[in-house]
Amino acid sequence: MAGPSTLWETLQALLPHTKEELKLELGEKVEGSVLMLLQEAADLFLGGQRRECLQTCEVLLDYSWEKLNTGPWQDVDKDWRRVYAFGCLLKAVCLCEPPGDATSVAAALKACDMGLLMGAAILGDILLKVAAVLQKHLLSGKRPAPGPSQEPPGTKKARNDHVPIPDVTTERTVPRLHCPSLQYFKKHFLVPGRPVILEGVANHWPCMKKWSLEYIQEVAGCRTVPVEVGSRYTDEEWSQTLMTVNEFISKYIREEPKDIGYLAQHQLFDQIPELKQDISIPDYCCLGDGEEEEITINAWFGPQGTVSPLHQDPQQNFLAQVMGRKYIRLYSPQESEALYPHDTHLLHNTSQVDVENPDLEKFPRFAEAPFLSCVLSPGEVLFIPVKHWHYVRALDLSFSVSFWWS
Amino acid sequence: MDEERRGTWFGFGFCGFGQALGSGLGRQVHSPEPLRTPGGSLDVCRVSASWSYTAFVTRGGRVQLSGAAGGTADGCTDAWASEELLVLLRAGPGAGAELQAWAPGSAMRGDPLWSQAVQEAEHGPSRDETQAGLLPLLPCARAYVSPRPPFYRPLAPTLRARRLELGAEHALLLDAAGQVFSWGAGRHGQLGHGTLEAEPEPRLLEALQGLRMAEVAAGGWHSVCLSETGDIYIWGWNESGQLALPTKSLAEDGKTTAEASGLEEDGSEVKRGSAGEDGAPAPFIAVQPFPALLDLSPGSEAVKVSCGSRHTAVLTSEWGKYGQLGHKDTTTLDRPCRVEYFVDKQLQVRTVSCGPWNTYVYAVEKEKS
Repeated sequence: MAGPSTLWETLQALLPHTKEELKLELGEKVEGSVLMLLQEAADLFLGGQRRECLQTCEVLLDYSWEKLNTGPWQDVDKDWRRVYAFGCLLKAVCLCEPPGDATSVAAALKACDMGLLMGAAILGDILLKVAAVLQKHLLSGKRPAPGPSQEPPGTKKARNDHVPIPDVTTERTVPRLHCPSLQYFKKHFLVPGRPVILEGVANHWPCMKKWSLEYIQEVAGCRTVPVEVGSRYTDEEWSQTLMTVNEFISKYIREEPKDIGYLAQHQLFDQIPELKQDISIPDYCCLGDGEEEEITINAWFGPQGTVSPLHQDPQQNFLAQVMGRKYIRLYSPQESEALYPHDTHLLHNTSQVDVENPDLEKFPRFAEAPFLSCVLSPGEVLFIPVKHWHYVRALDLSFSVSFWWS
Repeated sequence: MDEERRGTWFGFGFCGFGQALGSGLGRQVHSPEPLRTPGGSLDVCRVSASWSYTAFVTRGGRVQLSGAAGGTADGCTDAWASEELLVLLRAGPGAGAELQAWAPGSAMRGDPLWSQAVQEAEHGPSRDETQAGLLPLLPCARAYVSPRPPFYRPLAPTLRARRLELGAEHALLLDAAGQVFSWGAGRHGQLGHGTLEAEPEPRLLEALQGLRMAEVAAGGWHSVCLSETGDIYIWGWNESGQLALPTKSLAEDGKTTAEASGLEEDGSEVKRGSAGEDGAPAPFIAVQPFPALLDLSPGSEAVKVSCGSRHTAVLTSEWGKYGQLGHKDTTTLDRPCRVEYFVDKQLQVRTVSCGPWNTYVYAVEKEKS
């Protein structure tokens, strides 16, 4: 399909052509020395000196990276994230200089993704546009649907699992409702803070029929995403890393994985807007005080066995299940003391107790704490009230979408 | 005392703003080059390097800037360079001294951003020509300077501070008794108390109690200290191997040869850290929240230590060994590597001072014995 020179032309058309336009509006936090470099990078780019531009971009990226890693993430000045995004943008385009082979274009897409993951929006969301162009170019050179099998998820042949599926009939279950009215939901669940499973609300979203491993690889395969490695985030060996969706699927889902990998808590739909078309925001979110743009939508995609330790979040949550099933346990905030939260600042919203294998000698009160549980299946939406403790384990290859709202 | 041999300053690393680093050609200098400071050869006794510029202090009390910021000032006893502020200590009228903070771009003309009279040290330090200045610690040791407001920060008098260093988000203090304190953010283990928690006030490094430290150095997110007996302890973030411990990025590429214990290839107790039999990446250490003893080659003692943003330089007494930069390339290393340049040229290194992305070294010719 498209040759490398057409890619280059398409990219050039997306980018500003003048110094005045290829510029960021930055505040005082960004020092003069960095402004000099930004100017230099833009001049080199517009002057066609791509190798030198790449060198300057590396300096900009390394320096702004240090700023991004100083202090808590919420306190990082947005201007530093813009500088980082700018470096990623010019780097990505320079890497596509003809002859743009597949490796260079993949590296360019990775640079875009780094800018999207760690940077902030610049020049009218240009990174999203560039990423879309690069992705299209990469896919056009490939055969459709890579992957050894076409089997639908969930019917994978038995690995040596001893997956205990909890017998929820012996536990108190989360109530289920079919399409309650806004007022009914508000009065009986939102205001009193009670969990409920909503049926008939999400089951017609396009994702429920469309999403499969093959589809995900098609739409997002070459994109770089953050992956958590390790059985749970409270473990010492737990770590976060970056890889493409294709690498994640082949390493942690298809082949015999040695470790648990979890594409967790990632705003995939901001990174790949095309996927956003397959989901909707539950109507009940309008009962909140916030704006729709403020709702955080996260993807949770991983193999059977991923665990999120018992923890609480500071916002209301609708958890929509798309692929596979999850076992979920919920404890009221009133039971917090019996759940023994960590006393460190970092983990004060996480319980020390391993829910399905509790050390009752160390945590005696846990045994008596009342809870609700459920197995959440595709098409269902679980309402997790703000600050409600929840524990999640994937019983199958699973994809969930969470909506955090206030 | 033997006669003072005049030595030379060398520099290597990032010089993308044209700061005096040897020839200053291009943006990086990979192998040590003799310094050519602007204004001819100066008797530089101290170097304080920020990211985009370097401040040189001469024995004659002149401060000279090189790089993105320029200018000179006289009557200075010390200088400390950061991107946000250039801090000068100037001899004041009478016995007093004045602390001045300048915007780096001001070329030290006009008025400083702020200034303050400060006490001199109670007893003037006997100044070796290459003695490091005290800044950001003030001579009275009752306060220090920060590049971010509040700029003047008092220290509890009980601390009896001897040296103080600032990282990107933490601070290290060495007291008169050789004890080390740390405070600030701790999410990368840079405080050394064994957790990732922040500390609002100086907290004693209990793991080092009983050991008298001679020096401390703070990198961006890591910390190093040097004991009076020549041992190095190091902790914090190891994302580029700055702790001389195996780092993930190299482990995955099969390029690390360090192992979590026993770093030297001297035949004893070396475990190969490269790709294991089953192809799994080598074990690596991302964060070291407790001080770890650094293994240099047996029998060598460290005498000086300095940190950049993400690299560490250690000077040992025998041959002038260093970590990471200056090896003629840009490979990241996660084990200490001698900078051969100084061995080849028969130079004995006296002091090392790191900027965030570069390293300055002061060396004299070895005595022919």
